[in-house]
Amino acid sequence: MLGFAKGLGYTLKKLSEKKITTLYPDVPYQMPPRFRGIQHFSPEKCIVCNQCARVCPTECIQLTGRSHPDPDKKGKIIDTYDINFEICILCDLCTEVCPTEAIVMTNNFELAAYSRDELYKDLKWLDDNNTNVREEN
Amino acid sequence: MPTPFSTGIRTEEMVLNIGPQHPSTHGVFRLVVKIDGETIKEAVPVMGYLHRGTEKLAENLTYTQIIPYTDRIDYLSSMTNNYVLCHAVETLMGLSIPEKAEFLRVIVMEMNRIASHLVWWGTYLLDIGAIGPFLYAFRDRETIINLFNELSGARLTYNYMRIGGVKWDAPPGWIEKAKEFVQYLKSELPNYHVLVSGNEIFQSRITGIGTYSRQDALDHSLSGVMLRCTGENWDIRKNEPYSIYDRFEFDVPVATEGDCLSRYHLRLQEIEQSIRILEQALDQFPEEGEVMGKVPKVIRPPVGEVYVRIEAPRGELGVYIASQGKDKPWRFKLRRPSFVNLQILPKLLEGVNMSNMVAILGSIDIVVGEVDA
Amino acid sequence: MSSWLEQAPSLTNVLHYSLAAVALLLVVLGFVTYAIYFERKVIGWMQLRPGPNRVGPLGLLQTISDVTKLLLKEDTRPKHADKALFTLAPILAYSPAFAVLAVMPFTDTIQFADLGVGVLYYIALSSITVMGVITAGWASNNKYSLIGGMRSAAQMISYEVPLVMSVVGIILMTGSLNLKDIVYAQQDVWNIVPQFLGFIVFLIAAQAELNRSPFDLPEAESELVAGYHVEYSGFRFAMFMLAEYVYMFGMGTLIVVLFLGGWLPIHPSLDFIPPIIWFIIKFMFYVFLQFWLRATMPRFRADQLMGFAWKVLLPVALFNIMLTAFVITYQNGFM
Repeated sequence: MLGFAKGLGYTLKKLSEKKITTLYPDVPYQMPPRFRGIQHFSPEKCIVCNQCARVCPTECIQLTGRSHPDPDKKGKIIDTYDINFEICILCDLCTEVCPTEAIVMTNNFELAAYSRDELYKDLKWLDDNNTNVREEN
Repeated sequence: MPTPFSTGIRTEEMVLNIGPQHPSTHGVFRLVVKIDGETIKEAVPVMGYLHRGTEKLAENLTYTQIIPYTDRIDYLSSMTNNYVLCHAVETLMGLSIPEKAEFLRVIVMEMNRIASHLVWWGTYLLDIGAIGPFLYAFRDRETIINLFNELSGARLTYNYMRIGGVKWDAPPGWIEKAKEFVQYLKSELPNYHVLVSGNEIFQSRITGIGTYSRQDALDHSLSGVMLRCTGENWDIRKNEPYSIYDRFEFDVPVATEGDCLSRYHLRLQEIEQSIRILEQALDQFPEEGEVMGKVPKVIRPPVGEVYVRIEAPRGELGVYIASQGKDKPWRFKLRRPSFVNLQILPKLLEGVNMSNMVAILGSIDIVVGEVDA
Repeated sequence: MSSWLEQAPSLTNVLHYSLAAVALLLVVLGFVTYAIYFERKVIGWMQLRPGPNRVGPLGLLQTISDVTKLLLKEDTRPKHADKALFTLAPILAYSPAFAVLAVMPFTDTIQFADLGVGVLYYIALSSITVMGVITAGWASNNKYSLIGGMRSAAQMISYEVPLVMSVVGIILMTGSLNLKDIVYAQQDVWNIVPQFLGFIVFLIAAQAELNRSPFDLPEAESELVAGYHVEYSGFRFAMFMLAEYVYMFGMGTLIVVLFLGGWLPIHPSLDFIPPIIWFIIKFMFYVFLQFWLRATMPRFRADQLMGFAWKVLLPVALFNIMLTAFVITYQNGFM
């Protein structure tokens, strides 16, 4: 009969122990530096190489480019850049292949929205999402 | 022929639909049972509610792109899934992996095994009616998840391994934190036994139920703990060492009873053995070295096929890849241990009491994501 | 208070009595509200989390908001449920739970009816609840609730036997079924000491009667989803929950009266503390034990449960009766 008494002792001991829960969402939850949150996109760095769209396993990135407004310069600049966060799995592959680090991860992770439409993030939104940007990509 | 106690009341069997939404089917798994009173006459598992067609999807994805999909098969031990895919492609291409990457892989796989068994422990006790252990198990699992979060940047779907190595090196101080955790868990594990294993109600509840013989286990091609609880000493880490498991000393816990209690104890003993492996691996961890081997920019395995298997927390996890020399597999097949282990369930449930149903189902340790793929 | 009962029923008399009953109901409701809060807090602390802390200061208004939510919910009833019985079941389960409190002596002055057969009254009335549970299980027209209802009927009837048997020892010692007499008989030593075996049997059987952990099979969440009240929602569900907690109140009171000396102080020198405080302290211990068990224990298995009642508890209770009878006969000098 001793077995369950020991168990009762264990739970009683836990009664006064320090609580391990965090105060999220009152206090923001600090993610480690490598955390893969929502992407930040800086249009000026993008060279429209399309690698991110190609490597994406769920094909959630759609982008279009146009030729450089300055006719002397070669290459393209980005025109539209959309990520569909309904299907994005935050796998990190797009930031891994990006040669210019135009697309990088941030530590922000709160994506809840009332409408699915809000989950389509466009270039401007991704550009403005520039807090807690990840250092190494 | 009326029995002495026959009352002449007509009784009939009842079909009870358990799931797909049910607290103890661990996800969207459905079980149709025919019960007579509280005795189960027949049980038919119905699966496929979480089927995402991973195998078919993989045929249209490059090898690197498949890795995040494997995270989502057995979502409680993504690291082993990551590994088995990378291991298969590396075997097919004959790549060699840097030593440091191998160490990191073994460390994360063993940690993930512990995390997976902790979840099992907590939820199994929750099925049996004890609410406390769940929280204690998740407290310890949280530490592992935080370590993985620091290492790979995600808490559940790590996408950590790459073909030819791993994505990240351990951040500064990570190995020390891992060592600290291993020591902590080593001292905490006896408390699990104090809290649960010694409880007489718990023991009497799961001793001698869900029993099957070694032959049954082999006939149903069970693996992992489901096989080892019948006395068969089979652990792929020992019998067909992959990665660098041959460098570490550990035992394979084996039981002979083949009942739910023996499976319970085997899983807890496996945590102890994983701790042993972790201690050695963390001590021998090379400070210097690359974490990514020399890999061609586009991964195109040669024409051919390969089947590799590893010991996942739930049993033998295998990957079969048929390659036509393209950057995408021609055929991709997973041997999912949860799916295979589940096949013995109708046999185990026949003739048992309803209240044993959850105890038996829980002891198989299924992850519905893996059953349905 | 009891003197009112002996007077001729006049309007003021009846009014007074009704008001007192309402007051008791409010006390009981207050107890239930904060028992649930306390339960969630204690279990939370044991599981290393703070428990409810969002609604009101320290989460004190949590249960109130929960109950308000239940009362405001739509009253749903399954299409094929038996309408009359479905409505009747919660009432059948709850009314006896409140009625048993009438005989409880909280102190030597606070008691509603000083029945000569108090113990019998409690046990007789509390068995009516089984009817409510089984009616609910059957009327819901749901397979889970049917199994849950059958389980609880079997469990509650089986465990009632050892429960009654374990009290017989006390009745033999006191020579009365009156709860007040039983308390007065504990002036020198509480019944828990001479009747320790009876106490253990009573404690275990009471857990099963209350459907609380580790005997919470009728509502075994992991097997039967919620047992007999799976189809109930809104205030009907609240009635079942209320019945459960009021029974906890009743059983706590009974165990304090029968075994822990009721309102008597632990030592005569401590009688400057008012008797009601003594009562509450002892009562709290019992309630805490409930929560503590719930945080620790796994559930019994249905088939082992019945075996335990008939093969272990009942023989022990019978042995206790025999032992008590022998000792009393010996003391009286008949042997």
